[in-house]
Amino acid sequence: MSRYQSTELTIWSRLFLLATFFAVLLPLSAHSTERANYKNWDEVIAAAKGGTVNWFMWGGADNINQYVSEYIGGALKQRYDITLKRIGINDTAEAVNAVLGEKQAGVNDDGSVDLIWINGGNFRTMKQGNLLFCGYHDLLPNNQLVNWQDQSIANDFGLAVDECEVPWNRAQFAFAYDSARTKNPPESIPALIEWAQKNPGEFTYPAATDFNGSVFIRHVFYHAAGGPSSLLGDFDQQKFDAIAPKAWAILNDMKPYLWREGKTYPNSIANLAQLFANREVALYFDYDPAIFGINVENGIFPETTRSFVLEDGTIGNTNYVAIPYNSPNKAAAMVTANFLLSFDAQFEKAKTNVWGAAPAIDIDRLTEDQRNLFAKLPRHPSVIAPSVLSAKALPELHPDWISAIEKGWQYNVAK
Amino acid sequence: MRILPAVMCDLEKELEVKRQRIESGEGLSWLTWFSLILLISWLILPLIPLAVWSISRSWFFPDITPSAYSLRAWSYVFSNTSEVLPALGVTTLIAFCATIVSAVIGVPAGRALGLYQFRGKAAIELLILAPTIVPGIAVALGLHVVFLNIGLAGSYLGVLIVHLIPTLPYMVLVMAGVFANYNPNTEAQARSLGASAIQTFYYVTLPAILPGLLIGSLFTFLVSWSQYILTLLIGGGRVVTLPLLLFNFASAGRNDITGAISMIYILPGVVLLLLGARHLTGRNSAAESLRQI
Amino acid sequence: MLERWKIVLLLSPALVIIAGLFLGGLILGLIGSLGYMPLLGREEFNLNAYRNILASERFYLSFLLTFYIAFTSTVIASLLAIGAALILRRSFIGRSVINFLFQINLTVPHLVGAVGILYLFSQSGFFARLAYEFEIITKPSEFPALIYDPLAIGIILQYVWKEVPFIGLILLANMQTIGRDYEAAARVLGASRWQCFRHVLLPLLFPGLLAAAMIVFAFTFGAYEIPALLGQNYPSALPVLAYQAFTDVDLNARPEALAMGMIIALLSVIMIFGYAHLARRYVRS
Repeated sequence: MSRYQSTELTIWSRLFLLATFFAVLLPLSAHSTERANYKNWDEVIAAAKGGTVNWFMWGGADNINQYVSEYIGGALKQRYDITLKRIGINDTAEAVNAVLGEKQAGVNDDGSVDLIWINGGNFRTMKQGNLLFCGYHDLLPNNQLVNWQDQSIANDFGLAVDECEVPWNRAQFAFAYDSARTKNPPESIPALIEWAQKNPGEFTYPAATDFNGSVFIRHVFYHAAGGPSSLLGDFDQQKFDAIAPKAWAILNDMKPYLWREGKTYPNSIANLAQLFANREVALYFDYDPAIFGINVENGIFPETTRSFVLEDGTIGNTNYVAIPYNSPNKAAAMVTANFLLSFDAQFEKAKTNVWGAAPAIDIDRLTEDQRNLFAKLPRHPSVIAPSVLSAKALPELHPDWISAIEKGWQYNVAK
Repeated sequence: MRILPAVMCDLEKELEVKRQRIESGEGLSWLTWFSLILLISWLILPLIPLAVWSISRSWFFPDITPSAYSLRAWSYVFSNTSEVLPALGVTTLIAFCATIVSAVIGVPAGRALGLYQFRGKAAIELLILAPTIVPGIAVALGLHVVFLNIGLAGSYLGVLIVHLIPTLPYMVLVMAGVFANYNPNTEAQARSLGASAIQTFYYVTLPAILPGLLIGSLFTFLVSWSQYILTLLIGGGRVVTLPLLLFNFASAGRNDITGAISMIYILPGVVLLLLGARHLTGRNSAAESLRQI
Repeated sequence: MLERWKIVLLLSPALVIIAGLFLGGLILGLIGSLGYMPLLGREEFNLNAYRNILASERFYLSFLLTFYIAFTSTVIASLLAIGAALILRRSFIGRSVINFLFQINLTVPHLVGAVGILYLFSQSGFFARLAYEFEIITKPSEFPALIYDPLAIGIILQYVWKEVPFIGLILLANMQTIGRDYEAAARVLGASRWQCFRHVLLPLLFPGLLAAAMIVFAFTFGAYEIPALLGQNYPSALPVLAYQAFTDVDLNARPEALAMGMIIALLSVIMIFGYAHLARRYVRS
């Protein structure tokens, strides 16, 4: 009896806790209910008319800038009378920080950011800090082109999207090498370790503070763990402690054979690209293989650049656009996000001379004509075929795992 | 040192010869010429790869010259997408306004510090000197929240205001130096002859302080013009000036576009220098003012 | 009495702006560094940020690096500037052209200079290519690491590049005011060129040199963009560390960023007083 009672109490106390939780949370997330203002898409379009969207995104690629400013900006102006302002930043964290700073300063409805190109840790920060406008997916007509059953879309680095962001691109980590210089590039992590020892100074990776450096380190971590399966889900300190020393040992063993004997690491992926371009190192990698083709077209990489995927698989992710809670132009931002998902915008973006980014929409949900257009898109010779790549896709880790790995690397390897 | 003039009387002739020799007669030895050329080339050298990069398409190690040339970077820079030209306008406008505001506020303050002795003058001089020494980043981090609150963050006005922190002290200090060598009696004479206050300023004061004012303005303009971190912090990315675009592409490793933006970025400064160079080193009172910085 | 009001009137706009923005910014920074962020519901003061900073090895390394960069750049730039000014004050054919060239990079923004230095001195930069051409090296890694290097040589090169004309012009202006009489007298009295420079000109130039050097030191100590572009990732220069903390997505890092700003400011203030002290002692002697 007493046992029964106590269980009941627990349920009640839990409910109470939950209620308190929501009571506290609701005022904070009052903005999320704003979608009720718009009954349907037409109302959103009407409200968006004449609006301006400040889209904060990384500004260091002229082709992406051109696609966004000219193609997307032009179409939005023409079709919806929306002015798109692309705001080039060096790091997505700057935009997150801007919203955070505004919240700190009490700027709750007139923020400077309307849209952010985002994923992973930055998304987690914004979602957990209630900095996002959420719950509007069913308003967007093009949302039906997205396969939300796909866990790699429904979860952003292991964190549920919960209608707080809209997918834009998919990307999967791949390596590049110059086929004129390097004959047999290492196609697995063990092979890479061996290769690095035989070719001292020819390999390095950016520091963990860089997005791409961090993902390389995760590949080593997966290798140390014997695959990602045991690392999925929430962070587990015990598992981490069991695997981490192995991963640090691999990376530390590699260190003397790295560029500059591992005494320093490139600050950013752009630095690694320069090293590769100037033959200081023989291997390059990027979370977005489209960049290989873009760099060849821009004359940064040699035309003999080719790419490959690791046999043990490489990590893939989806990247998204999100609307901050204090955006003064939410309707226009929603119209922008919806247009980004459209066949037109996704197809344009997939062209190799534009960007070559993999679509975030499900090709099977398009009309046959549209599917054929996608199928006929030429592939850049320097960029690995999407089908070969996706056959080796590995999932991303939860952001808590990622920050633990990044911190651990700083402490155990960088020093 | 004080007795030197007395010694000079005895040795006047010999002295004159020596003075002339120090000043001009000797010319430069080949070694001096060599080091001078070395120094000047070192000063100019970093600008050369930027210019070459701006017209190159691929330029890999170990090529001394690019293997392919292209004007793509320039066509991007002049396209609407790049926003380089609007950024050029914004950078110029902010620097120009910062200069005007600094002059309007700095000239009177410089006059007070240059012409008058009063209690607390040393403290005020120190306060005005302080922002040239304390790095702007320390101040701007603190101002950021308040600027957000009053809606100045992300606005041109906010960036202009924050640029005054490093620019205004330069102007005040330069003008204090100018006024220290200025004789206010000529103003009184003009007034007694019936000139209005405005006429006096325009016909008497302004011509006398103009060389110094130009130097101060040149410095002020350049300090605002080169500003990166204050613009980034307070402008929040929405006030796009040339250094922001340059940093974007430099950190992304796009050397060709970086080179092209750099060329555009240095042009106005060089033009200003051409216009103002003779004031900088000529044998006039303007050079004096530089000493005050 | 009338004059007093006049002085107040002339000074007040400048003082209001400098006091309001500069002192205001510092005070707000101080408050924030003490963890006071009312809109986030943090209304008490604490020293956690300072404690965290002063307990981290990274901060000390950054501080040492920043000080080393500022000190080395200032000393090298001052020495070169003295040499340049000594040559440039003489009359020679083509002086005006040389003078113009000497001043040109005074107008070139630091950021542009930094990129130029990067393209010249990186391991695949222009000099590395020349070295390859002359078969001194066979691959980029054999070229000495001058960019992203532990000794921050690239950063120092950039500052020297930019500050030599700045200090040089201030010295030239000083030399013009001082005139040649003292030196000429010294030479007549039998001083060698070196003695003349060491015992006559240098002491006269010293106050101006000290002021210029202090401005350069303070600037290099607080500059962000050059070490951000040319520095290695660990340890990074103090302003880079402060900016990174300020833009950290974890708001808890913000008081630390502000605290670092305060420490940078404090060190600069100490330098001002040190300078004032030195200058006063110098005038007295």
